[in-house]
Amino acid sequence: METETPLLIINNIYKSFGHVQALRGASFSAPRGKVTAIVGDNGSGKSTLAKIISGCLKPDSGEITINGRTYPSLTNHQAIYEGNIGTVYQDLALDNLKNAYENIFLGREDIHFGVFLNRKKMKEKAAALFQALAIDIPDMELPVGSMSGGQRQAIAIARAIDMDRQILIFDEPTSAMGMKETQHTMDLFQRLKDEGRTILLISHNLFQVFDIADRIAVLDKGRFVDTFSTAESSPQKLHDRIVKKEMELEQ
Amino acid sequence: MKKLLSILLAAVLAMSLLVGCSGTGSNSSTEDTDEAQTTETEETSSSVVDQMLADVEAEMDSQLGEVPEKSAGEKVGILISSTSNEFWATMKTRYEEAAADADLDIEVYEASAEDDAEGQLDALNTMVSMDFDVIILSPINGTNLIPGIVAANEKDIKVINLGPGVDEAALEEAGGHLDAKITVNFEDQGKMVAEDIVERLDGEGQVAILEGLAGAAQSEGRVKGAEDVFAQNEGIEVVASQDCNWDTDTAYEATRDIMTANPDVKAIFACNDNLALAAVQALTELGNSDVLVYGVDYTSDAKAAIEDGTMMGSMTYSSAIYTKAAISMAMNLAQGGSYDEPLYLPLTLVTQDNVADMDGWK
Amino acid sequence: MTKYIEKNSQQLFLMIVIVIIGAFLTIKSEYFLTPSNLINIADSCGYRLIMAVGMTFIMASGVMDLSAGSTVSLAGVIIAWMLHAGAGIPLSVVAGLLTGVTAGALNGLLIHYTKISFFIITLAMSGMLRGISLIITGGRPITRFGAAFMTIGTGRLAGIQISVWIAVILTLAAAVILNCTKWGSYIKTLGSNPEALRKCGIGTAGYRISVQAVMGLAAAITAVIITARLNSAEPNAGMDMELDAITAVAMGGTPITGGKACISGTMLAVIILGIIRNGLTLMSISSDYQQWITGFLLLISVLVSGIRIKNTRQNTQEKENE
Repeated sequence: METETPLLIINNIYKSFGHVQALRGASFSAPRGKVTAIVGDNGSGKSTLAKIISGCLKPDSGEITINGRTYPSLTNHQAIYEGNIGTVYQDLALDNLKNAYENIFLGREDIHFGVFLNRKKMKEKAAALFQALAIDIPDMELPVGSMSGGQRQAIAIARAIDMDRQILIFDEPTSAMGMKETQHTMDLFQRLKDEGRTILLISHNLFQVFDIADRIAVLDKGRFVDTFSTAESSPQKLHDRIVKKEMELEQ
Repeated sequence: MKKLLSILLAAVLAMSLLVGCSGTGSNSSTEDTDEAQTTETEETSSSVVDQMLADVEAEMDSQLGEVPEKSAGEKVGILISSTSNEFWATMKTRYEEAAADADLDIEVYEASAEDDAEGQLDALNTMVSMDFDVIILSPINGTNLIPGIVAANEKDIKVINLGPGVDEAALEEAGGHLDAKITVNFEDQGKMVAEDIVERLDGEGQVAILEGLAGAAQSEGRVKGAEDVFAQNEGIEVVASQDCNWDTDTAYEATRDIMTANPDVKAIFACNDNLALAAVQALTELGNSDVLVYGVDYTSDAKAAIEDGTMMGSMTYSSAIYTKAAISMAMNLAQGGSYDEPLYLPLTLVTQDNVADMDGWK
Repeated sequence: MTKYIEKNSQQLFLMIVIVIIGAFLTIKSEYFLTPSNLINIADSCGYRLIMAVGMTFIMASGVMDLSAGSTVSLAGVIIAWMLHAGAGIPLSVVAGLLTGVTAGALNGLLIHYTKISFFIITLAMSGMLRGISLIITGGRPITRFGAAFMTIGTGRLAGIQISVWIAVILTLAAAVILNCTKWGSYIKTLGSNPEALRKCGIGTAGYRISVQAVMGLAAAITAVIITARLNSAEPNAGMDMELDAITAVAMGGTPITGGKACISGTMLAVIILGIIRNGLTLMSISSDYQQWITGFLLLISVLVSGIRIKNTRQNTQEKENE
């Protein structure tokens, strides 16, 4: 299993915004069927990296290889439909004025008679999806803007994992959540992991990701500086090593 | 005084001949002129104005022919452009005064703004669905009211066009007609100013024209009238005729440019008073107080400028007699009268010579 | 039932306004509730409704078009110019419509690619389009196109002007497009969260350009009707018409931030504005009051929809706190 080619490889990615170098030669790979957490401090380039993989940003240089196919950059459409990547964005990317199933099927609506939205079918499919994921959305016609943060997150996750996406990216999934909702989301991760999906978890919370991730990659100032297996480490050890590294760098 | 009156009335006569009104009208004007020339008594300013108004009215009456003095219960609707323009606000008041004098029942309608051509048509359509006997209308442009006029024709409501003209060829094409028309002859406005300029310059010298807006009937008419007169006088040279878009800044700049290029310009005719006042401003700054500046409209600012000698003159006409004539026409039409030819309102030139006597002009 | 009222509160509010104003005018003027006057109101609402429907599309997409009135002017001038050049009615009308579509698409292109505020873009376009009208015409109206062309503006079908029928058909089509098609759905998301569209793999350029082109088309259809109705095309036609349209759309309950479209509200608001215009004329009240009343109603109706949005937000927060 260890010799198998990783599902996602990013190679020597550079990205700058004006004078700010967000990524300086970031290289990284995500093995199939594992949960890989990308951690790092604010400004380490985590979010930029997530956006490049999901197709929101174009890197200045470097390449991305998904399932053996190499791209200099991805569009959102390529990431979703060629790379088979589902992303749960930090802002969730929901249309607050649309209801749950309209958001789930945004971009891949069911159409009948050539032009008309098949609402009935989308609603049925969404209901089935929610049931399968044990997500509770009481009113399918309600705009998602008037739902709770947890429900909105669940809808965003349901959209990302629908259609058997191979790779799932979660960008700071619990940053704006209460404890109860965080727990629910963590349960959902566990089930996705059990299903054998490849997951990238972007987070700044070392302790939280430790429970769920198989591997942890540490991003610092636009470069990956370390990769660990969670089995061989502990949150405290990891924390110490990061802090130590930072202190070394400062010296 | 005597000389001025005779000029004025001669001009009125010339105009009435030009527009080809009825023979009796011309005759009565001639008599008025003779009378004025023979009057030697010194008059107070208000009686001068009263006399002028009376003369204008007499001339107007001669064009109107036999009209009812008092209303027989007709309902007359009046559609103006918009009271956001001071001129139309005054006209509205004059209409109401004239109607009160004739015991006539009128309603005055308007568009929301001077450029709301569609809104004015909506108002006319609404008026057509009310039971007016006669509608007096002043369109925002030549064609905007045509569908409404056609609708009025179909309901046998008599239509009088006052002031800015309806494009009659287009109206005919749409299957409509006007029952009567009363207006000011823009060409004559330019002509009267130009004649005064020629006389004051003794037929010699350079002149300039500040045009209003290309395509605007008032501006083009005034310019043509003035140019025709200047062309007939060999000693007069039009050195510049510049389009100012009715914009005072443009007129100011244009005047500076014209005076720089032609320091010998002796008179400037501006197509309205605002442009004329801008020219005065430019001339004052250039230290030139010899140029004769003329405008049109006789606004309160122009009146002040004429009084203190910075403007030479401005064209005006009596809005009281204008509206009174229109009201008379409306009653006459309602009672079976008809008008085959358009009526033209007599015009008046106010200059430094007679401005002191103009108090009470309306 | 309460849910229904809550969902359609804006439309109900507007209907109540219509009934109140209608009752008031019926008492005040014997001419108000006559068939010919009601037809008058309908006639005067036709092309304004078309404009407002176009504006509903782009306001749903989060944009207002300040150049729509100028587009009316230019499309009208192009039609007039073609007719006078002897191009015939069908070709001239098509040229006018293409003018509107092109102007709209250009707006869309600029808004999408320059990232400059639509406010500045469409304001600049407004000046340019009206400028072209003025240059072509030299400031003079172009008039008289023959009786056949006038029929488009003044012809009647079952007693009502053709323009009104066109407006009704376009309104129904717009309601279907906005509520039942993918394009309509994306247009709304373009207003509420364009980033969500992109993140779902939907390129936004085509939607931005096409929705602006729809506004341009609506302005051009308006131009055809006005030009035919007035039998003239003038460079200052359509002045401030975009503001009337924006007023109607906002009054109708389409949020100015986009994301939602309320075509029925737009239609009711256009009718209210038409009744007010008519009523003030019937009572020969200065149109200065119209401005005040329109402003007042706009404020009230935006408040009504604003309160609704606020309630929704509060609900969200309460649920999050649970």
